[in-house]
Amino acid sequence: MPTVTIDGVQVEVQKGATILDAAGRAGIWIPTLCYHPAVSSQAACRLCMVELDRGDWKQLVTACNYPVRRDITVSVSSERAVKARRGVMELLLARAPENEQLQALAKRMGVTGTPWPTVSVAQRDCILCGLCTAVCEEVIGRAAIGFAGRGMDRAVSAPFRQPAEDCIGCGACAAVCPVGTIQVRIHEAEGEVEISPFKSRAKLLLCEQCGARVVSVPVAEQVLSKAKIDWEKFRRLARLCPECRRKSTAAALALAAGSPSG
Amino acid sequence: MTVLDARRVAGPADLERERQALRKRRSSAAKRVRVCIGTGCAAKGSRKIYAMFAEAAKELDAGVEAVTCVGCHGFCERGPIVVVEPGEILYQRVEEPDVAEIVRETVVGGRVVERLLYEDPATGEKAATADQIPFYKAQERIVLAHNGVIDPTSIEDYIAVGGYAALAKALTTMTPEEVLEEVARSGLRGRGGGGFPTARKWRSCRQAAGSPKYVICNGDEGDPGAFMDRSLMEGNPHSILEGMTIGAYAIGSAQGYIYVRNEYPLAVRHLRGAIEQSRQWGLLGEDILGSGFCFDIRINRGGGAFVCGESTALMASLEGRPGEPRAKYVHTVESGLHGKPTNLNNVETWANVPAIINRGGEWFASIGTADSKGTKVFSLVGQVVNTGLVEVPMGITLRRIIEEIGGGVKGGKAFKAVQTGGPSGGCIPAEDMDARVDFDELTKLGSMMGSGGMIVMDEGTCMVNVAKYFLNFLRSESCGKCTPCREGLAQMLHILDRIARGEGRPGDVESLEKLGKLLEGTALCALGKTAANPVLSTLRYFRDEYDAHIFRQRCPAKECRGLFNYEIDPEACKACGICLKNCPVDAITGQKKVPHVIDQSKCTRCGTCLDKCPFGAVLKV
Repeated sequence: MPTVTIDGVQVEVQKGATILDAAGRAGIWIPTLCYHPAVSSQAACRLCMVELDRGDWKQLVTACNYPVRRDITVSVSSERAVKARRGVMELLLARAPENEQLQALAKRMGVTGTPWPTVSVAQRDCILCGLCTAVCEEVIGRAAIGFAGRGMDRAVSAPFRQPAEDCIGCGACAAVCPVGTIQVRIHEAEGEVEISPFKSRAKLLLCEQCGARVVSVPVAEQVLSKAKIDWEKFRRLARLCPECRRKSTAAALALAAGSPSG
Repeated sequence: MTVLDARRVAGPADLERERQALRKRRSSAAKRVRVCIGTGCAAKGSRKIYAMFAEAAKELDAGVEAVTCVGCHGFCERGPIVVVEPGEILYQRVEEPDVAEIVRETVVGGRVVERLLYEDPATGEKAATADQIPFYKAQERIVLAHNGVIDPTSIEDYIAVGGYAALAKALTTMTPEEVLEEVARSGLRGRGGGGFPTARKWRSCRQAAGSPKYVICNGDEGDPGAFMDRSLMEGNPHSILEGMTIGAYAIGSAQGYIYVRNEYPLAVRHLRGAIEQSRQWGLLGEDILGSGFCFDIRINRGGGAFVCGESTALMASLEGRPGEPRAKYVHTVESGLHGKPTNLNNVETWANVPAIINRGGEWFASIGTADSKGTKVFSLVGQVVNTGLVEVPMGITLRRIIEEIGGGVKGGKAFKAVQTGGPSGGCIPAEDMDARVDFDELTKLGSMMGSGGMIVMDEGTCMVNVAKYFLNFLRSESCGKCTPCREGLAQMLHILDRIARGEGRPGDVESLEKLGKLLEGTALCALGKTAANPVLSTLRYFRDEYDAHIFRQRCPAKECRGLFNYEIDPEACKACGICLKNCPVDAITGQKKVPHVIDQSKCTRCGTCLDKCPFGAVLKV
């Protein structure tokens, strides 16, 4: 296992783990915006810059997706790394100066303001981190939203900026949004959930007994379609006493956890 | 199928036999007319000229062997270009009415039409053939050797000049390792901009775990004013296919891709035709030349995004995803297209390979400087007399390219700077004109080799405006994925806009430098990392121009509107009253026969008087 020396702290990580993983083990905080453990790293926000010591030269790299393949030395607190992260944060603050979540993160980084004016129009403070599109595609499997346009015109949108047909109203995009751009709105009168600002709506499933809102109807359908019940296994387990059933399940789990693909 | 099988060359001996037969049929005394149909000449009507020659040849009994379309000669300034054999008589700026005369005098009569020859503006001497023209004299042509000579739509033409001999040599007499060694000996470095040693890249890909392996030809040339790759793809597509096939053999790949921009329709057409022909000849596809080696190429057309010239964005686009770059911490030679080992090279790099295999790595390495070998193709554009495509040995000075080949600055103006390396490159000032063209030398000067754009600027060019132009280009072409490139370029352009309007503030230059360094360090891809170069390099050499804009509200080059004054030259003024009538703020006074005068206190410096004056009497001061 390679060793990562990060701000003087040595930690061992699995080959292929990221610098961010190593920093987590070392108890060193690196600010991130577009990183989420549930989705693949895009390294789009560039907020997690750290300085990698390559011996005769040093290079700024993004901690969230730099794979550790051999022993490396990384500096999170070097002047160059701090300056880089600050510079990126200042640009983001210029884009969404009023955003509270962004301000809070900036404050934690020791950035109190930005020298830059606002020159780009952000859709409700969206910083284009891409977590929403990634979670929709990779986790939910819908890809109902994506990026439209390029450069300063880039925006997260459903196709043709119309209400997304593929959206199931699960709200995962809103849950991962680090700046509160995406919101879940409930329309009581229509019994619908809306994912804003994408204008997509879905019917809500109400509890048969008490009438409380459960999830959206398409989410319930997707969950049911994904759930697989092995009736043979069910029957076998049903013939065991609760204690043996528990042991059998634990053994199966241990086997699954031990396998490299599991 | 029988037709295809009949033409198939089964092995190197077959190919050689075909070549001899083709050469025999083309005796050197035969009359042939070659018409350039490269995009530059075609834009000036060469396709019609070609049709007229073809028509004339049909009617003629004088035994014209062929009228052929050929690719770019490079001397685009003087197009359309027509070359008549025997004698290699080069006619320039040929127009439709000239066709009959050329046929009558030269083709039939064997006489030279003097008035269509190139005339050296310095000496007044006429040049009958290309090698007498200074534009061609200082050039050394390896990849462009057959541009303008062969018909790009004919594999027979390519084979007749020695085409596919290198492939035959590599496949039948060399191991993949020996091919790698030969390319390593040549010292060839990537011509797309990075200058990475080609053999090292190939070797990494060969050694990388995983299969299949892919090779890619990057033909997504997008730099403003650059057309090296286009001219090669249009003018000699087989040389690229041959280079790719040799590379694939060395690397161990069976599938290649050519990614070419859709704005190059002629290049796409010629490449398509070339692939089709090579397959028919058994030089591409299954069991090439009977060696057992299989390799095929397909063409993918790009949608016109500049960023797709970046290797990872190109591969994303090939996979059918949005063309956006990804981090290269794991190199594409290990995990590229579809996560498989992928070797990507630029058009010109591939086109160099056949010559290296044919003539040996040592021969190639004998040309150029210590660390930059061979030649480089540049598209010489801007305020230079001879615009066009030039191929020069590495190590030649910028001065020789611009003065000797380019014929100096247009209109007798003073040279100011040359911009190399495309939009991410930089401007090199007059003081450094004796710098040598070499990957590392240009980088040291704050510019880069890039893919070979070379834009010459004269004294009337404002460097703030140049920086603004390139930055605006890059901002529009930024994919927007990463924060520094998307937001940083917009911020930099915002500041530059202000400076060019005369509203610059103290500290603006420092802000530009700060943002530039941030981009260099933190942007995701090479496009973003180098995007600030136009600003940083002009700041390095032309800081005083920025200061003049910011602190004195003056544009020394008199290009930024509002940052200089207009005056009427009383000697040149004919008192016609046109400026007076057109001035939107009535700042001009004057009467008949009395030279007009601009009242500077009223003038808004809109420039209408300058545009309207028929006598050029309005001056920028």
